[in-house]
Amino acid sequence: MSLPEAPLNRDPSAPGADMSRRSFLRTSAVLASGLAALAASLSPLRDLDDYTSLDRFMQKYYKELTPQEMDRVLKRIANDVEREYGVRPHVRDLKPMDGVEFVYALNLTRCIGCRKCVHACVQENNQSRTPEIQYIRVLRMPHGSLDIEKAEHNYAPESVPEKGYFYMPVQCQQCKNPPCVKVCPVHATWQETDGITVVDYDWCIGCRYCEAACPYWARRFNFTKPSIPKERLNPDMAYLGNRPRRQGVMEKCHFCIQRTRVGRYPACLEVCPAGARKFGNILDPNSEVSYILRTKRVFIQLKEELGTSPRFFYYFDV
Amino acid sequence: MDIHPSADPQKTHRWTPLILRSLVVLFCGLAGAFLLNLWGRTAPLKLIPLVDRSFLDTATVRRSYADLVAAKDDLSDFDCYACHERKKPPVLRYDANHKLIVPQEHSDIVMGHGEQGRNNNCFNCHDETNLEQLLARDGRVVKFQDSPQLCGSCHGPTFEDWEAGAHGRISGYWDRKLGAFKRQACVNCHNPHSPKFPSRKPAPGPHLLRPPIAVPTETADAN
Amino acid sequence: MNRALRDYLVFLQRCGRIAFVGDRRYYAWMGALTVLCLVGLNAYAKQLVHGLITTGMSDQVSWGVYIANFTFLVGVAAAAVMMVIPVYIYNNEELHDLVIFGELLAVAAILMCLAFVTVDLGRPDRFWHLIPGLGQLNFPASMLSWDVIVLNGYLLLNVHICGYLLYCRYRGRKPSKWFYIPFVFVAIGWAVSIHTVTAFLYVGLGGRPFWNSSIVGPRFLASAFTAGPALMILALQVVRRVTASAPALGSSGHAAAPGTSSARPATLDDLEKLAQHLPEFRPVPMEMRRKLLASTTILSVPAGATLLRQGDLDAHAFFVLEGEIVVKREESGRLRITRTIRPGGQFGEVSALNSTPRMATAIAEEPALILRVPVEDLRRLMQQRELGQVIHNRMTERLMITDRALLTLRGIVQVSMLINVFLLVNEVFKEFYSGDLHSESSKYLFLGLHGYHALVPWIWTAIVFNLVAMFLLVLPLSRSLKWLNLTCVLCITGIWIEKGMGLVIPGFIPTPLGQIVEYRPSVNETLVCIGIWAFGLLAYTVFLRMSVPILQGRLSRANEGRHLPAAGSEQRAAPARL
Repeated sequence: MSLPEAPLNRDPSAPGADMSRRSFLRTSAVLASGLAALAASLSPLRDLDDYTSLDRFMQKYYKELTPQEMDRVLKRIANDVEREYGVRPHVRDLKPMDGVEFVYALNLTRCIGCRKCVHACVQENNQSRTPEIQYIRVLRMPHGSLDIEKAEHNYAPESVPEKGYFYMPVQCQQCKNPPCVKVCPVHATWQETDGITVVDYDWCIGCRYCEAACPYWARRFNFTKPSIPKERLNPDMAYLGNRPRRQGVMEKCHFCIQRTRVGRYPACLEVCPAGARKFGNILDPNSEVSYILRTKRVFIQLKEELGTSPRFFYYFDV
Repeated sequence: MDIHPSADPQKTHRWTPLILRSLVVLFCGLAGAFLLNLWGRTAPLKLIPLVDRSFLDTATVRRSYADLVAAKDDLSDFDCYACHERKKPPVLRYDANHKLIVPQEHSDIVMGHGEQGRNNNCFNCHDETNLEQLLARDGRVVKFQDSPQLCGSCHGPTFEDWEAGAHGRISGYWDRKLGAFKRQACVNCHNPHSPKFPSRKPAPGPHLLRPPIAVPTETADAN
Repeated sequence: MNRALRDYLVFLQRCGRIAFVGDRRYYAWMGALTVLCLVGLNAYAKQLVHGLITTGMSDQVSWGVYIANFTFLVGVAAAAVMMVIPVYIYNNEELHDLVIFGELLAVAAILMCLAFVTVDLGRPDRFWHLIPGLGQLNFPASMLSWDVIVLNGYLLLNVHICGYLLYCRYRGRKPSKWFYIPFVFVAIGWAVSIHTVTAFLYVGLGGRPFWNSSIVGPRFLASAFTAGPALMILALQVVRRVTASAPALGSSGHAAAPGTSSARPATLDDLEKLAQHLPEFRPVPMEMRRKLLASTTILSVPAGATLLRQGDLDAHAFFVLEGEIVVKREESGRLRITRTIRPGGQFGEVSALNSTPRMATAIAEEPALILRVPVEDLRRLMQQRELGQVIHNRMTERLMITDRALLTLRGIVQVSMLINVFLLVNEVFKEFYSGDLHSESSKYLFLGLHGYHALVPWIWTAIVFNLVAMFLLVLPLSRSLKWLNLTCVLCITGIWIEKGMGLVIPGFIPTPLGQIVEYRPSVNETLVCIGIWAFGLLAYTVFLRMSVPILQGRLSRANEGRHLPAAGSEQRAAPARL
């Protein structure tokens, strides 16, 4: 059976002169019902509460915002947070300090795998609890091997540390040569002068190419609207740091930018009971991280062979 | 030349109105199905319980003498001469295996400093002539508030690391110009009588976004 | 200028209208596709509201079927244009008009690719961040930025080429070479680039050893050139099946009676009439015209008269002076219109010049006046530069989907599949022989890893399909259409699996930290995919519905606005069904 055709000198697209009223009504009925089905198919959008207002839609790239525009943006963020959580936050845009390059050193002899750093980070940085977003992942490794295939993510013994294992927390390594920055199609993530690789949450389009590119599995995506319990909201916020994110954007460890750029230690370091975490300015020869890199002889930079030059140094004492 | 004499392409096939009518019905039914949200509902996520606040606590494992003094807390543990006699050094007693017998007045002390109990003499650290101070092996008198000096007199490399900030806990400001920092003493983490850093229950592990699609068929030793 | 714009708008309007006109099968097909599109749209609306949690993706496996389908379809889009190479570089005339179908398939495939990428975005409302100038496109560092540029450029290229050629055919004008030939050659190179750039998306990630391998790019091209032409083979047979077959002419009793035609020698007036319709004939000098009078004949035929029959051996060519001639070709038991000829046009010249049997049958659609020219005179005429050129160019203006064309495509699929399988063998050897830690992903894919083996049955099915297809392609058995179609289905399915899920998912398992979290597309995700595929098929059907009548000459400027006379008139009154 085939598409029938009219004699050739006839416009095949024009309806015939004797097209009956019935067939016209039939055709219109099909079109009308089709349009109704189209409109109905979009009905779930009634529940869209994450719609974008005009100034949010038009918001410029972070590096192009003038100070006045940034002020407006910060005020808007503060208003949004207050409306959502009932807490008036203090939102700042902190710039990197001069003469500062951050480095993190982690003592693998001391880490006991208690995961307090994971949860302190979640608390400090207003991460979603359900679904769960945690920037730090603590790996339990067997003695004698750095083979990541042997890592255990879900250890849950009665007490840590367990004999025969050591523990290695992994978070964003703030690489000097970051693959995530290279692949982001819109420059939503970049490295600042103090070494922190930041994300402009209002610029990210959520393509997740950076998540595929990161060799340390350090980046997290908001698969749905993040849920932060009101009573645990940290109101001390920074634009590039711990202000609440939206559905569909990437986030990751930013060395607690709201703390470190005012000179404080990051939350993971403060909570570590064993003092395994060390942080500071590598350009300052008197900092503890300079001392560590000077005196400790064996360092591990994870996946060093990939050429990412991470700013995270793992070392052993004994 | 017509290969299909049965086809009469000049007339509308009798099925065409039927098909068009059924399309109308189909579209209307579809509209209804959409409005009633008959399929593809997202299951609500299982709520992950909030972590216990104790895991967010930045307090140290122990409180040192200096902390107690600063907090004007109970110092009765350090009031040695409430029981001991001045100028009369306490006598140490050992059992048949050369293990120190801890007197029952100090039963809360568990001795475990050094392997095979080699640091089993109280007066390796305490000054028997003056129980209110500590005595290093080289004869230096060390006040309780300065106890790291005593630890460092044996644990040299670790003490150096501690002084540089590489060992132990420091909190506050990494940029010393912008604010204060606090370096914890050795005894804030290590019980001087059994200094091994205590084990603890770990915080809960990570949760997956959704349940796994299949249970692994062998015991997964990795992951 | 206004006239040109008006003409173009009328053309667009007619093309748009014809998309809504068809027979019961067309309505059923389009209706079904529309339903699937709407279901997909509804599922996407839910995804917009709740976020990508409605899919099966997670932080561990952060790309899924959306990107898998995107990768496969970029290959189809690239390969559809590879049919262009035999035509423009090797001058294979049989594929000439089919090139347009290939490029329309490329357009539909690119539209699907863009749709898949859009539904994969977490914040599609921020799409403008990708526009260079307005946003912050990270070119040249990010391979995704390259992909944005090359995909959209490729879309514009193909839309231009197809649109230009179809519009010229619609207007009955010869397309100007400068408006499309350079673009065609650019498109060939661009096709290779879109797929290589997409491969580089994966290859450039050092942290994912499964992808970070130089064989990924060549494998992409080899599998694309297998699946794309295979899809074309199937699509062309569908076009063949649904395009017009011979209707019974003169239905309302005006049956043409062959035999009432008359023949007489041509006169100078007749040749002058030809010159009116065929301007390139004008420079023919009077001397030559007088010579022609001796051998050429004028045929006056009624509607329905057969002027030449497929399979006959005949050494004449024909020019139309008045009326309309339709040329139909029988292939695989079906009769199809290949083109329509109006005054000034020619037919019968190819088989006359090549001394081959007639490839089609020519029937007068209306009473016509034909100039019959013996082949030696035709050759002499063609020595006139302009006339020769126009006659030569017109030899290719016909819609013929010959079996030979399909077999040419089969040849492309054959070679590409052999290369594809060879590259697969290379890959498997490298991953498993030296057996280092970097082959955990391959282990997961082919054998299962630590008890997780969701993809193992899929990849082995794909490999079996590919191997069976490869053997069938090598055997002459697949020259028969039935076996060829089976082979094509096996190729397409096998490559869709291995290049889609078989490429994307194992890259994420295990994660860079060694964790294994498996992936399965959710109901919503699957519905969105089905919706986008339905949209692509819908688009391609609409493109064919518009282009086939144009290529056959049935939708052209010449019959603009010619409505049917009212019922009851004496003229041929085909009742409305369209």
